[in-house]
Amino acid sequence: MFGFLKGLGVTLRELPKHKVTLQYPDVRPEWPERFRGVHRLLVDECIVCNQCARICPTDCISLSGTRGEDKKIRLDTFDINFDTCILCDLCTEVCPTEAILMSDTFEMAQYSRDNLYLDMHWLHDNELRYERNHPERFQKDAEGNEATETAGEPQ
Amino acid sequence: MALTDQQQPIRTEEMLLNVGPQHPSTHGVFRLVVKISGETVLDAEPVIGYLHRGTEKLAEDLQYNQIIPYTDRLDYLASMLNNYALCHTVEEALGLEVPERAEYLRVIVMELQRIASHLLFIGTYLLDLGAMSPFLYVFQERERIVQLFNEICGARLTYNYVRVGGVKYDAPPGWLDKVRAFIPFMYERIQMYDDLITGNEIFLRRVRGIGVFDTETALAFGMSGINLRSTGFRWDLRKNRPYSIYDRFEFDVPVGEHGDCYDRYYLHLLEMKQSLRIVEQALDGIPDGPTLGKVPKIIRVPAGEYYSGIEGARGELGFYIVSDGKDKPYRLKIRKPSFVNLQLLPDLLRGRNMADLIAILGAVDIVLGEVDA
Amino acid sequence: MWNWATHPISGLSFLGMVIGAVVILLLTLLVVMYSIYWQRKLIGWIQLRIGPNRVGPFGLFQTAADVLKLLIKEDVIPSKADRVLFLIAPILAFVPAFTVLAVIPMSQHHVFTANVSIGALFYLALSAITIHGVMLGGWASNNKYALIGGMRSAAQMLSYEIPLGMSVVGVVLMAGSINLNDIVIAQSRSIWYFIPQILGFIVFMIASTAELNRTPFDLPEAESELVAGYHTEYTGFRFAFFMLTEYVYLFAMAGLFATLFLGGWSGPFLPGWLWFALKVFLYISIQFWIQATMPRMRVDQLMTFSWKVLLPLALFNLVITAVLKAVV
Repeated sequence: MFGFLKGLGVTLRELPKHKVTLQYPDVRPEWPERFRGVHRLLVDECIVCNQCARICPTDCISLSGTRGEDKKIRLDTFDINFDTCILCDLCTEVCPTEAILMSDTFEMAQYSRDNLYLDMHWLHDNELRYERNHPERFQKDAEGNEATETAGEPQ
Repeated sequence: MALTDQQQPIRTEEMLLNVGPQHPSTHGVFRLVVKISGETVLDAEPVIGYLHRGTEKLAEDLQYNQIIPYTDRLDYLASMLNNYALCHTVEEALGLEVPERAEYLRVIVMELQRIASHLLFIGTYLLDLGAMSPFLYVFQERERIVQLFNEICGARLTYNYVRVGGVKYDAPPGWLDKVRAFIPFMYERIQMYDDLITGNEIFLRRVRGIGVFDTETALAFGMSGINLRSTGFRWDLRKNRPYSIYDRFEFDVPVGEHGDCYDRYYLHLLEMKQSLRIVEQALDGIPDGPTLGKVPKIIRVPAGEYYSGIEGARGELGFYIVSDGKDKPYRLKIRKPSFVNLQLLPDLLRGRNMADLIAILGAVDIVLGEVDA
Repeated sequence: MWNWATHPISGLSFLGMVIGAVVILLLTLLVVMYSIYWQRKLIGWIQLRIGPNRVGPFGLFQTAADVLKLLIKEDVIPSKADRVLFLIAPILAFVPAFTVLAVIPMSQHHVFTANVSIGALFYLALSAITIHGVMLGGWASNNKYALIGGMRSAAQMLSYEIPLGMSVVGVVLMAGSINLNDIVIAQSRSIWYFIPQILGFIVFMIASTAELNRTPFDLPEAESELVAGYHTEYTGFRFAFFMLTEYVYLFAMAGLFATLFLGGWSGPFLPGWLWFALKVFLYISIQFWIQATMPRMRVDQLMTFSWKVLLPLALFNLVITAVLKAVV
């Protein structure tokens, strides 16, 4: 008969509990290491194998490169049309040299779609920003290898 | 002699009302053209397709691993289950062995996903019925689940986690303990919802005896999941057609008695408890080992037709693949439980009033991303 | 102070009335502003949120900012709407809401209280006029949702007016007067009436919630069914008027509640206005607490509940009160 009183009790018990609101722009969320934000690109690592462009389900990656005088292939352009990117992470999965990775940048609101064409420089800056924000993930072990970079990678 | 308009004391008219596509209770872009007389619904016609993205057609041009991100976006409240349903079908077609640890991880994330999805059902359903707080409470628990998913696969909604032949990542260190810590918390919260909602007289009077259908009708319309179980028919693919490793776990399949909205609501609560039981057992039994089996670099499904269904959060979720032996499906058909369950809606609405319309639509539990695909 | 009614109007007494009205209006606006703030804070806390916190310290100016936003918004009048009715409906709804405050005794010294000998009746009669504003607004909008919302609210407010009135009659019988001032004085001499009138108290609580269109009786503006009910088409300051009406009524109803059942301004130790404020605060908080818990009732059940449960209860209460009054 008076089941609703029980409900009133429940809401009253919730009243003094700890509030879960995150004051977003002031307090920022802690993203885990595997978080898939916008890509970051290590330009020197890229071997222009085109695998990322091929695996992309929405065809949003395009890249080109030339072979330099030292016979090493060099990246000339690398564009992500972030307009259509669905952040599926398949490109970082297939990348043999781990040149393209995911960062934890996620605020991408823009006034124009044109701004969502991310080129090589933007992606590289994003990488630098990521390194700045998470120095602990780039600590090198005794042999000089980047130890923690593997945590976010598939086996 | 019939009375003319002037002679009749009061002229009444039926009214055509467009509920949606933008309406607070249609859970997405769904239109319901209802003919009402006063507040009584005389006829209702669902209009779907506002969220149509052509997933099935797109899939014909994609390799199997590339389709997985698209399945995330079908029933966006239960992406893990969608991921798994596709991978499971491909694995069956290839006859792949999936490593033990991967299977256990899959079961854990799938059952957590089921809980998250059922939680949101309870929240939105009560919001439809006018209670605000449960909607905000469920997001607290769902947030914990979503954070767990975020840690294991890096995304909060579109996971792209389950892969053909295994899962993408192993659990990060400490993750399994976090899941274990979540279980008692969740039991406590389920009890809280029981206290807050189930006993409330106003709620009971809104949902008892509303939107009733029997097993025969449900089967004739091809309904599955909780909609079917609420009529008292014990049918759960995890038990009746075991897939993955569900035959190793002990759990019950709760069924309803009356087939009304109350049963459908209450089954959601009960199923969450069963899912927690499965997660508990899976945590106890999880072995060490690899998480991805031996999968060819390019997956070519041998020519033929394959179908396998799993128990999704809303009913039988199946992927039907027609392959001509290439690395892309010739045709992919998705059996979308929301879409199938929606068929009965006009029959349920006829003769009810506007407030019941919302209660029935909410209890059928559709997700428009899945209906429209 | 109470000589305005018995003496002919002079320039000075007229000035006094105008000042009184303006002061009460400002006070009401302040109360409304902070009851909306308190509503959002309290419900926020219950729902594990923190509520408004950006505008001013602790978000104290949030409501002011909201109102300001509404005032500078475009005033849209649908082209197919009945223009005249559409324009006057919010005013029609608001004026009685504000007028009823005249009879509520807010403090011991009755600075701005009219000593109307039919106080309770005056309240009920005037508050019924608001229904016209709501119904006409819903009808004039030429919107189906608004129409349904308007009709719902007309049906609901009419049905709940009766149990509400009946529960008030019990108190009137006990006090032997319809004058709200006399009712308070009668309570300050004996006991607050919510104890002897417990049945009437419960009926009043429920019926007043329905009168105010608050959860679980918020059908006229049932968001999940009717989008926004009768004010679907209203924008800008006309919408603000409807909202203002709603919250002024909340304040007025809380005042009536305090007066009838909790002894109005009477109480030990504290000054009268503070007692009154505390009781009003209590009523308003209970309303918000219920709002945070309950789902919404269904239209037909709402009618049944009013006519088949509340009305008999109120009548029963009336009979008991009358018998006790005759016997004791």
